[in-house]
Amino acid sequence: MRGLHVYILLAAAALALVFADQLSSYWMHVAIIAMFYGILASSWSLLAGYAGLFSLGHMAFASIGGYASGLLVQWYGIPIPLGMAAGVALCCALGGLIGWVCLRMSGPYLAIFTLGFAEIVRITFATEDDITSGMAGLHVERLFDTPSRLPFFYTAFALLAVSLLLMGGIVRSRWGLFLRAIREDEQAASASGVAVARFRILAFAIASGFAGLAGGFYGHYIGILTPSLGGLDLMALLVVMTVIGGMERLPTAVGGAFVVEFLLEVLRGYGQWRLPLFGIVLLLTMRFARNGLLTPIWLKFVQLGEPRVSGVGMGAATAPRDVPQKEPGL
Amino acid sequence: MSWDYVFVQVANGAVIGIIYALIAVGVTLIFSILKIVNFAHGDLYMLGGYFAYYIITLLGVPPLPAMFMSMAAIFALAIILERLLLTPLYDDATERKDEYGLIVTFGLAFFLRNIAVIAFGPFPLKPPSFIPGVQRVGGLIVTNDRLFAGGVGIILILALLYFMHRTIWGQALDAVSQSRESAAIVGINTQRFNSFAFGIGAALAAAAGALIAPIFSLAPDMGVLPNIHAFVIVILGGMGSVLGSILAGLLLGEAENLFTAFFPDPTRALAYTNAFGLLILMIVLVFRPQGFFGRRHLRME
Amino acid sequence: MREGAELVRGAGLIKRFGGIVANDTVEFAVMEGDLVGLIGPNGSGKTTLINMLTGHLVPDGGEVVVRGRDMRGEPAHVYAAMGVARTFQLTQLFGRMTVLENLLVPGLTRPRSRWQAELRRARNTLDFLNLAHLEQLHAKNLSGGQQKLLELGRCLMLEPAILFLDEPFAGVHPHLRDELIKRIQELHQAGRTFVIVDHDMESILRVSQRLVVMARGAKIADGSPAEIRADQAVLAAYAGL
Repeated sequence: MRGLHVYILLAAAALALVFADQLSSYWMHVAIIAMFYGILASSWSLLAGYAGLFSLGHMAFASIGGYASGLLVQWYGIPIPLGMAAGVALCCALGGLIGWVCLRMSGPYLAIFTLGFAEIVRITFATEDDITSGMAGLHVERLFDTPSRLPFFYTAFALLAVSLLLMGGIVRSRWGLFLRAIREDEQAASASGVAVARFRILAFAIASGFAGLAGGFYGHYIGILTPSLGGLDLMALLVVMTVIGGMERLPTAVGGAFVVEFLLEVLRGYGQWRLPLFGIVLLLTMRFARNGLLTPIWLKFVQLGEPRVSGVGMGAATAPRDVPQKEPGL
Repeated sequence: MSWDYVFVQVANGAVIGIIYALIAVGVTLIFSILKIVNFAHGDLYMLGGYFAYYIITLLGVPPLPAMFMSMAAIFALAIILERLLLTPLYDDATERKDEYGLIVTFGLAFFLRNIAVIAFGPFPLKPPSFIPGVQRVGGLIVTNDRLFAGGVGIILILALLYFMHRTIWGQALDAVSQSRESAAIVGINTQRFNSFAFGIGAALAAAAGALIAPIFSLAPDMGVLPNIHAFVIVILGGMGSVLGSILAGLLLGEAENLFTAFFPDPTRALAYTNAFGLLILMIVLVFRPQGFFGRRHLRME
Repeated sequence: MREGAELVRGAGLIKRFGGIVANDTVEFAVMEGDLVGLIGPNGSGKTTLINMLTGHLVPDGGEVVVRGRDMRGEPAHVYAAMGVARTFQLTQLFGRMTVLENLLVPGLTRPRSRWQAELRRARNTLDFLNLAHLEQLHAKNLSGGQQKLLELGRCLMLEPAILFLDEPFAGVHPHLRDELIKRIQELHQAGRTFVIVDHDMESILRVSQRLVVMARGAKIADGSPAEIRADQAVLAAYAGL
């Protein structure tokens, strides 16, 4: 049946919403954090997987979005959604700026530059503690003044859904084609009429905006922000999540975030060993299954919705469904 | 502010600079042979320091021989890692090698950092001094360890330069860095030299770690900042230029130290010192995305 | 456009790389309907010239004019949008995108283009190039010759007025090369302008109406194949190789 996989996903989402209140507070928290990382992983995959811009500054933007919203709400008493929106806008602008600055950088240079940017942000947030409360942690007003985590769950869910819808729309449109073309061969893309500079900046702006959204939510959920949110450790974790899942598609990126976050909790008994373990999984994934561990699963899943052909294409990147898609070998 | 103070600061800066140079040279060497930026370099530096520590404390070896043993151990480890993880870089079937090298070394760094926390514990450790005691300069002090680190660092760098320019192996390395195919045609086993280059780069980083350990202590995340500094240096000095890395390393070490010493707000000075190097890096990358002397992509012309 | 209108003009183009002058004050104009062969020994600056005329390289001196518009400072995609298409010496395709997607990209960069229409145009182009059966294959899995055809297809999707082909016959099987020549001639009959760089003298002479010869960064001859064949300077340039 056409689009079966979409119906299954929708059903799963509906079930999740309906039965959310059955979750213990602990597992609800895990789910919320997983959705938080889901937004980050998918937006990072937009940047690194689709456009090929390996930015290590993504968590820094989450941090900026969080602090911006938290501080604006604290100083001016504006409603939280407005604060978060301001955070998103700031991150979009800043992200676009970084994208512009990075226009002529590629690969490792871009990574190093964005790493430098992230570290400067982190150091500044930590040092200017009369404004940000530094390492002690900035107190941020929570979205909902209740002990229950349920409203936060629904909010995270909504934010993730909206993010995926928007990003999915981009990815399935001609913009998605252009971004992938830029990643494949910038010169050929330019020769094909793609305004490479414009799209690189856009990719950065959009992805950073979503990161800022996630960060804003995080601040108003946890109630405390520290500079380590934008630090290398969490950025590395994000890379681990996204690459293990599959950095070239939104669903696999989100899936990677969910799976890794879930496993991190399940394996909590192993304490420090969890991280090196995921490090090894990342290395193995890169070495032997470079397009991600969840990608083959996802592709098989999508096949359920397109029974006429023997294989499936790039997550329906070429929009019209009547185009038979086939991905030879993988 | 006395001349003594200035002198001490300059001396300290020079020592830091030499250590930076040692690390950066490794990065640039690996880049010019394997064509990747090694994001795990700082963690090899960290491991070098820890290995030396345990060789000293568990095997009772004196500090200087321990450093050499640590270098040898890290050399071997690096070669193993290269064989396990980096061979796809030499395979034509591998696409987007840049990205592969980036993610793999990034993942390796993540792994090493976290394994170190488990293996060595999160708390700082301090190995015994190479040469206990201090030198007095006016009313101020420079520790012998710093001088020793600077001195040994210089010797190692000179040894490397000699190796690169005067020995046949060094010249072979140079050949591979210029053109892998041509080197292969002349009979150089490029695969072995890849491993070799990765090993040497790592060994130099290990030496730096061992030298710095008695001065600044060891911690599992001690490699993070030096790694970033190494990148700053390599980009400033030119990716692939050994001499450039040395000069830029010295410059940056000196500049950072002077920045800390003379920055008006002492409470912020230390924190922003690191940012200082990063800011320089970012500015350089904006105006010359390929660094001062680097030439990364030659596709167009 | 009127018959014989000037499409692309490079005037006084200079390009230096380090100490080498790759293009030394080159004058080069292409009229609508031309089929120009750009030839010359290796290192004579042909590709550099093409790069400057298509926006992929910024000249150190001189100017590029496309359809009367000064292209100073314009990035390559603007050239493409104005109908200047080019292929590359080493085929550059979107390797991990399908053959169809490779053609959709240039099609969809055109303003007011629509998916369905571009899909149709893309499929028509594939038919024209005999690549239709490969539609869903990743571009990197095509043979060398097929990739060259695909790159030509990518140009065509831009509805270009002029196509710069950089060594389209290099390393191509003779059978496929003949097909390529036929396609070029068909397209030329239909009104497209071509500038072709290649070393395959036989193919170039078969195809070109006008030859431009470069040597050591300068244009040394410009005329019909007959004139060029008799030109002493040209013979000297090639003999001196």
